[in-house]
Amino acid sequence: MEGLFFNVNNGYIEGIVRGYRNSLLTGQHYSNLTQCETIDDVKLQLAPAYGDFLGALPPNPSTSALAGKMTDKLVAEFRYLLAQATGSTARFLEYLTYGYMIDNIALLITGTLHERDTRELLERCHPLGWFETLPVLCVATNIEELYNSVLIETPLAGYFKGSLSHQDLDELNIEIVRNTLYKNYLEDFYKFITTHSDLKGTPTQEVMAEILEFEADRRAINITLNSFGTELSKQERRKLYPEFGKLYPEGSLMLSRADDIEAVALAVSISADYKAFFDAVGLTQGGSGIGGMGGNSDGKSLEDLFYQKEMEMSKIVFTRQFTPAVVYAWMRLKEQEIRNITWISECIAQNQKERIGNFISVF
Amino acid sequence: MSGAVGREAVFPTRQSLGLMKGKLKGAEIGHSLLKRKSEALTKRFRDITRRIDEAKRKMGRVMQIAAFSLAEVSYAVGGDIGYQVQESAKQARFRVRAKQENVSGVFLPHFESYTEDSINDFGLTGLGKGGQQVQRCRETYARAVETLVELASLQTAFVILDEVIKVVNRRVNAIEHVIIPRTENTIKYINSELDELDREEFYRLKKVSNKKQRDVAAADLEIQASREREAQKQLTGAADKETPDAPDVLGEQEDTDVIF
Amino acid sequence: MAGAVAYKDRQFLAVIGDEDSVTGLLLAGIGHVTDPPEAQRNFLVVDAKTENSTIEKAFQTFTQERNDIAVLLINQHIAERIRYIVDSYSEAFPAVLEIPSKDHPYDPEKDSVLKRVRRLFGE
Repeated sequence: MEGLFFNVNNGYIEGIVRGYRNSLLTGQHYSNLTQCETIDDVKLQLAPAYGDFLGALPPNPSTSALAGKMTDKLVAEFRYLLAQATGSTARFLEYLTYGYMIDNIALLITGTLHERDTRELLERCHPLGWFETLPVLCVATNIEELYNSVLIETPLAGYFKGSLSHQDLDELNIEIVRNTLYKNYLEDFYKFITTHSDLKGTPTQEVMAEILEFEADRRAINITLNSFGTELSKQERRKLYPEFGKLYPEGSLMLSRADDIEAVALAVSISADYKAFFDAVGLTQGGSGIGGMGGNSDGKSLEDLFYQKEMEMSKIVFTRQFTPAVVYAWMRLKEQEIRNITWISECIAQNQKERIGNFISVF
Repeated sequence: MSGAVGREAVFPTRQSLGLMKGKLKGAEIGHSLLKRKSEALTKRFRDITRRIDEAKRKMGRVMQIAAFSLAEVSYAVGGDIGYQVQESAKQARFRVRAKQENVSGVFLPHFESYTEDSINDFGLTGLGKGGQQVQRCRETYARAVETLVELASLQTAFVILDEVIKVVNRRVNAIEHVIIPRTENTIKYINSELDELDREEFYRLKKVSNKKQRDVAAADLEIQASREREAQKQLTGAADKETPDAPDVLGEQEDTDVIF
Repeated sequence: MAGAVAYKDRQFLAVIGDEDSVTGLLLAGIGHVTDPPEAQRNFLVVDAKTENSTIEKAFQTFTQERNDIAVLLINQHIAERIRYIVDSYSEAFPAVLEIPSKDHPYDPEKDSVLKRVRRLFGE
């Protein structure tokens, strides 16, 4: 039933996104890219996919300039989709941008805390996390003003309210603020997917719930691993775990009590997927430590495996029809593609060809 | 040489000659000591320059690896952490300590790096994702900076040694080309003056002795003459008397003075 | 000659570089911000828009005004922009070290110290 009227409002968007998906680089493209000798060659190889956007680059551009232009294309395409979307789909797309907004606001908070000119920071903000009232936040000269304007002006107000006060912004490490916001965002997004009347019971709920649960688990695991040896206490850490996902609640509880990598491995072993990851990178044996994470035989780190999993999930989303989740999947794939290309060009620019294959391609 | 160097303004006396000779000896000892110092420093200097050359090349590689690890971070974090890192820097965790090393009387500084483990500004960077890469990148960069610090000590030693060697060489050259020739010149001058005096003295003595000789010769002649006169007188006396009264040699009569 | 006092207090490194170099070096932990009210950072991020005069000023500050800096790291391509100052700098403290950046590999020909090394050996 749910598919019956989907195309009336959202068929165009889905069509466009499927078109975008086809322009994603494939394994063949990547193997061509890895053969390149210079960034100019890379640029040439990318011409069919990125044509106009790369045209303005000077010869042998820096990798960051290249990545910037590729992001521009992603942004332009996403904005087009956003402009076409209506109703719950538009809402869904807006949710996608909130993640970037959190980063932007974290940036502005950092700037305000250190009394920098926040106007300069605007250009550092991620364009996807841009919203009309963002420049207004720059008017704030101290944290309290900023906090108030965030509450009034931004779509993120709900994520601040109740979990962060303006004193918190001042006292807590910006990473904790960011992760608190992100946790609230993920929970809100999850609630939206599972309870909104237009999305409930549709493929969107099914697909997105799985993806978001994965995202939540990934964050929880990462935060736990990365907090070892820092001043982050276990109680504070626990507050940063999103309250859903495959690991929630038992796994989360175990994670919050974990003191070392083995304990984390034990906590995640309730999910076969994560257990497999931990086994693959050899974290269950212990002794390898955080430093040894990237150094195992196939050169994959835990993060790489998470990315790999995310990409595979995103790829599978395209087998479903009648859902805006494809936009989410496409964005993730596209971002990964940009990261891949940046990685490849970085390897080429810095003459580190032996690691060039360390990207993730699912097509 | 002597024209350019000149000599010191001293009275050409034996005393100043003694002084000058002492000075020359001192200068020569100083010269050989400084020369040896300069050679020791230069040896060290060459060693350092060679190591700088190597270290600079090594730095090129190390920094490249470090830059690459940063690329890994931006791959994992999926964004730019530059600004956040800049803003969260508060206290230096990585510091250096300067030590001294004595090379032939020159104090060369040696930087030693150490970390203040209590300070950790970036512990939470990449908390959500990429934390492990950030951690690894920090270690890579810390190692790279250690290399840089090592290179910095070499370079500082290079600059200081360069300066010291220049000064020492200047001294060596000054002693070799100015002080020693000038002292030698002075000695030569004093010697020549003294010689001159000697010659004058000699001439004068000669004159005096000439005069004396002349006087002696005149006196001799006189004695001769008086003796001949005496003999004449005796001859005539013998002709008068067979045995003239031999003069009583032991008598009381006065002898004529004999002047030789 | 630099006496003992001249470098006893020198314990920090300073850096003038592009964003990536500065980020990396800060991650290594060299970043230090002095106490307010006159908070001074020991690093300067240079991009294409940074004026040469700003770089010059930072160089002067790090080399002459501040006496807690032992080593000044500067990206070679940035040193190139104020080459005349870098070349004429001959003090031992702080040591000025030219480092490569990500986009500009190290070129020993341009290094002011290596230039001196070469000159000394008459190459």
